Amino acid sequence: MTNTTTNLPPERLLELKDVNVQFELREGTVRAVNGVSYHVNRGEVLGIVGESGSGKSVTVRSIMRLLPKNTSRDDGSILFQPKPGEEIRIDGLSSKSKKIRDLRGDAIGMIFQEPMTALSPVHTIGTQIMRTILLHRNCSKKEARERAIELLRKVQLPRPEQLVDNYPHQLSGGMRQRAMIALALSCDPVLLIADEPTTALDVTTEAQILDLLRELQAETGMSIIFITHNFGVVADIADRVAVMYLGQVVETGTVDDIFYNPQHPYTRALLQSVPRLGQSPVHRLKTIPGMVPDPFNVPRGCTFNPRCEFAVQGTCNVEVPPLVRFSDDQQARCHLAGKLPQEVA
Amino acid sequence: MSDMTPVPDDVLLSVNGLKKYFPINHGWLQRQVGEVKAVDDVTFDIKKGETFGLVGESGSGKSTVARLILRAYTLTDGSIRFRRADDSITELGGLDEKQLRPIRSEMQMIFQDPYSSLDPRMRLLDLIGEPLVIQGKLTKDEIRDRVQELLGLVGLRPEYVMRYPHAFSGGQRQRIGIARALALNPSFIAADEAVSALDVSVAAQNINLLQDLQEKFGLTYMFITHDLGMVEHISDRIGVMYVGRMVELGDTAEIFRKPLHPYTEALLSAVPQPDPRRRKEGKRIILKGEIADPANPPSGCAFNPRCPYATDLCRTTIPALREISGRQVRCHHAEELDLTGVGE
Repeated sequence: MTNTTTNLPPERLLELKDVNVQFELREGTVRAVNGVSYHVNRGEVLGIVGESGSGKSVTVRSIMRLLPKNTSRDDGSILFQPKPGEEIRIDGLSSKSKKIRDLRGDAIGMIFQEPMTALSPVHTIGTQIMRTILLHRNCSKKEARERAIELLRKVQLPRPEQLVDNYPHQLSGGMRQRAMIALALSCDPVLLIADEPTTALDVTTEAQILDLLRELQAETGMSIIFITHNFGVVADIADRVAVMYLGQVVETGTVDDIFYNPQHPYTRALLQSVPRLGQSPVHRLKTIPGMVPDPFNVPRGCTFNPRCEFAVQGTCNVEVPPLVRFSDDQQARCHLAGKLPQEVA
Repeated sequence: MSDMTPVPDDVLLSVNGLKKYFPINHGWLQRQVGEVKAVDDVTFDIKKGETFGLVGESGSGKSTVARLILRAYTLTDGSIRFRRADDSITELGGLDEKQLRPIRSEMQMIFQDPYSSLDPRMRLLDLIGEPLVIQGKLTKDEIRDRVQELLGLVGLRPEYVMRYPHAFSGGQRQRIGIARALALNPSFIAADEAVSALDVSVAAQNINLLQDLQEKFGLTYMFITHDLGMVEHISDRIGVMYVGRMVELGDTAEIFRKPLHPYTEALLSAVPQPDPRRRKEGKRIILKGEIADPANPPSGCAFNPRCPYATDLCRTTIPALREISGRQVRCHHAEELDLTGVGE
């Protein structure tokens, strides 16, 4: 791959180009990420939606350089521009390199689905936050502790002066997720990667966490990559959306494009299979036939063709579909993009 | 229990004043220092052939209700009356394990986690056939035929009988769980978060399957879930639980259109909807705080610390369950409040 290093436009924070990740398993090679390209601009929330196995988490792990040992292919270009003009090439860095360790927890923060497993059970919330601060900032322990308390207050936890000395098991699920957000924000990241942060929470707590993330984002101006399988959550938080299927981005667009004018049959089918509140309950849910194929046997041509209601034999099951551009933001990877019957919203 | 009204003809399951208190033991002597009122005075009926949805946050007691009905727990108090296949009414409350055995075949459960609810060392034949073996009415060959028939019913290939669960995806495993629940021709199935762990497109397939099976066999379902979109889609009637108590009970469409309890309103408002325009309107109610601790509930209405409409009355007096326009509501101010639902 010959990558001419072009300078990123100043508004660009992160750009992925043709990222590929493969794993070697006993059963064969898993092509987890297949030529994924997307970008994140400063101050925006990019939502990434897809079913399990679509490669959404592996892609962000590749950004953090946290791929497992059995990774057999890991290429493509990942450029990060924390400040305009200051370009860092992330792809190719080893997971233990100084360069990436300086970024993790500092310019890039990450929150996970299960705060109980992501936080250390044997250290207090305060210790965990202070360690991150002491690692990246030149300050005293006392200052770090004050900063930790201030962060806990910022994520609207009650009694932060006491909570700082609590262990994760002493908090409820929603409070733990807040503590994890405080930890991720400890060094004022410019990019926050959130991998299904609300999936394990109740709807009421989920609404609180989404509200908090929106508030913090507006206040700090950071960018967020928000991974979820829930279209409702995406509609609630994202500015732009990338829809992934079997290791590829099949459609990208603004949140309005994706929800009111989806161009890829997969996006449409997914949106129709979610029951919406306030709809008459008589009709049957629309389903996508079959299931996500296993990653050892990715279908030929368009990977979605065996499940697609519009698939044209001879084209869709033979040729890899091109990326069709609709507007500056909206693109769909489909032979029939733009030729699909108009959808009744 | 003699003051209870008889079970109406169209009712399959009648739950009255159901209570489950778990003891809190503490110290070296494990003395009881308190109790968790997981389920407190819950009353509802489930009609024959309907789908009843039970919703609420984690800790609201909805799973405990299901476990009490299936008698995985003993009751602290109350009554559960179930209409048997021969149309007789049986009180399940005081029965022991042996007395329950013949009834177990008529009530089954589908579990949330399709990974941990199937023994990885059993083939589908043994997994789905186990209830048949226990009931001991069929020969080996008959069991095999029945298992193959069940696999066909849930849309899996009958040849799969000799396979192990690891060869199947989450959605398929859920179908194996459904086939096992159907093995003994039950009339009642409780599904505890049955599709919560599945991907969107697979969840939709399984919901459609459950609806087909309901039509085919006249099944009665109790759906426990926190997914309100799914509940609205599948349930005829719903009960909303908060800290062990039923706070609102009635027709699904009516409750969703116009809730009478502030907690129902807040739950509906919290559901993230696939509609970005809604965010810009910014009319969501975001509840403060968390669900109350059932070991130490607030005085008065358990919802009062989070309720935007709470008054002094709410902080001191526990509201009674009252009937308002054909619905049961546990709120002092249900008539005066003009709450917002979803839809047009």
